[in-house]
Amino acid sequence: MTNLFVKITGYVGDFFLDFEHEFNTSGITVLYGSNGSGKSTIISALSGFINHLEAKIVLNDRSIENTKEFPPHKRPFGTMFQNPILFEHMSVSQNLDYPIKRNKSLNQTLLSKEELINYLELGSLLNRYPQNLSGGEKLRVALARTILKQSDYLLLDEPMSDLDIKTKARLLNFLKMINKQFKIPILYVSHSIEEISQIADEIILIKNGKKIISGSVSKILNSNSFQRLIGKFESSSVLEGILIKTDQLMNMTKLDVNGQTLIVPGRPGLMDNIVRVRIRSRDIIVSPVKINTHITENELEGIITRIYTEKDTAFSELVIKLTKSKIKKTSQILGARITTYNLNKMNIAENKKVFIYISSVSIDRQAYQY
Amino acid sequence: MDTFNFSSSDFNAVFITLKLALTTCFFLALIGTPLSYFLAFKSKRAKPFLESIVTLPLVLPPTVIGFYLIVFFSPDTALGKFFILLTGEQLIFSFYGLVLASIIYSLPFWVQPLQSALEKIGNDTLKTSESLGASKFDTFINVIVPLSKKGFLTSFIISFAHTMGEFGIVLMVGGGIHGKTKVIAISIYDHVEQLSFEKAHFLAGGMLILSFIILLTLFYSNKRSIVRVK
Repeated sequence: MTNLFVKITGYVGDFFLDFEHEFNTSGITVLYGSNGSGKSTIISALSGFINHLEAKIVLNDRSIENTKEFPPHKRPFGTMFQNPILFEHMSVSQNLDYPIKRNKSLNQTLLSKEELINYLELGSLLNRYPQNLSGGEKLRVALARTILKQSDYLLLDEPMSDLDIKTKARLLNFLKMINKQFKIPILYVSHSIEEISQIADEIILIKNGKKIISGSVSKILNSNSFQRLIGKFESSSVLEGILIKTDQLMNMTKLDVNGQTLIVPGRPGLMDNIVRVRIRSRDIIVSPVKINTHITENELEGIITRIYTEKDTAFSELVIKLTKSKIKKTSQILGARITTYNLNKMNIAENKKVFIYISSVSIDRQAYQY
Repeated sequence: MDTFNFSSSDFNAVFITLKLALTTCFFLALIGTPLSYFLAFKSKRAKPFLESIVTLPLVLPPTVIGFYLIVFFSPDTALGKFFILLTGEQLIFSFYGLVLASIIYSLPFWVQPLQSALEKIGNDTLKTSESLGASKFDTFINVIVPLSKKGFLTSFIISFAHTMGEFGIVLMVGGGIHGKTKVIAISIYDHVEQLSFEKAHFLAGGMLILSFIILLTLFYSNKRSIVRVK
């Protein structure tokens, strides 16, 4: 478990940053916010590139002053910036050696170059030069190189914003695996909900340089502040399920969500036995009575905990707690968006049991697919 | 030697010219390189101001620079006095006076190609290197220099050629003293004044061929590196 305390305050241009958070995890924390919310500034200050900000950084009881006394190359962070850069005059192999040669700490046994080459499938690229690599390949090399710095904490600043969905999903899987396998905590900056719902263990929401809320994925994605930030139409929930089986022929996957079955399209990566799927609130059909199950693949049961009826629109938001399973103690939350007209017609209310119908077609496949 | 139209005086001029160009490039590497680095990566507000100063010798008539240098190099100024104290010689009309003048008027020829090569590398490359554990100096030696080799080569060749070819300032500051400050350009001028065209031909032709070879080397190496990148 790594403990990192960060407090950064000060003006960045005409913008006031006031960020404070205690990271207490060996998992992946996602820093989420819109463009210009201060995410990248936080990463830059942590890695030592913005010295004029007032900052208190304590990593595992070691204090790092944000001054020139602690220049970037002496900080215990491995940073990867937007559009990662490889050194063009070095081969892939030489690029990977760059941080290894400069690592003066004795703690070099954490990860070997060979291991990373294996995990990130870089074997065939070693003798090639950056100008002959694709965007995804470059990113894999840059990621391996950053990890080989053997730092205590990885800071990744929207490294995948330019990649296509498939490459991105694959790399996110790598990240997850590396995090789990080698216990390196990661702070990942993103403004993509797909990325978040796939990799985050914890989310910090920031807006105009201030932390709004932080917590687990389901807590944040279902929170009002998050929904407000991304707009109601895109609002969604993330369900976590245990993989039961995949159907090769139909290309479908069966998940156990709180003891209930959820069938999703596609097949997730081999690594995952826990799969996250994102379901948009507007894609959910709610009914007080059981209807013909053949209309969709999925029928879930839950209890309505809250109903928000919007005054000036036609819509209502329902917060539904999935019925508890006997095995799992925590129950997951699902948000549904229906018209107030239909809400009244169905005569449903808080604390009432409902059936939820979700078509597998509407389940966000990008959120987990390999 | 005279059968080749090449007197010992001409030989001396060639030697002094080459020595001047090399010494100047040596000092330009020491002064011009950090300046280029500063302009490319560090300066923000001061940049236009500094760039204007560095570029000034490019637009000023050589006689204007020559005039001010004579004023500053005179034995009455602090600089002039200091040089006499150091060497027992006057700075003006000395070889080192010539070097100092050449550094000043060749500065833009060193700084501009190198600066644009460094700017192409960009700040993100520096940040990447530093975040991977390399100090600024380490980054300069192992990332910046190899990535801007072409810029260094261009700066060297252009500065060398330009120092070799300068006439006005060299005449004003150096005085064209035989064996001391008389460079090829001045020798040619003297030969022409004395109407010994054959000797002038020899030196002028030599300069022409040498300059052409220098430029050819430059453009050839530029072309080659572009092909390699592809």
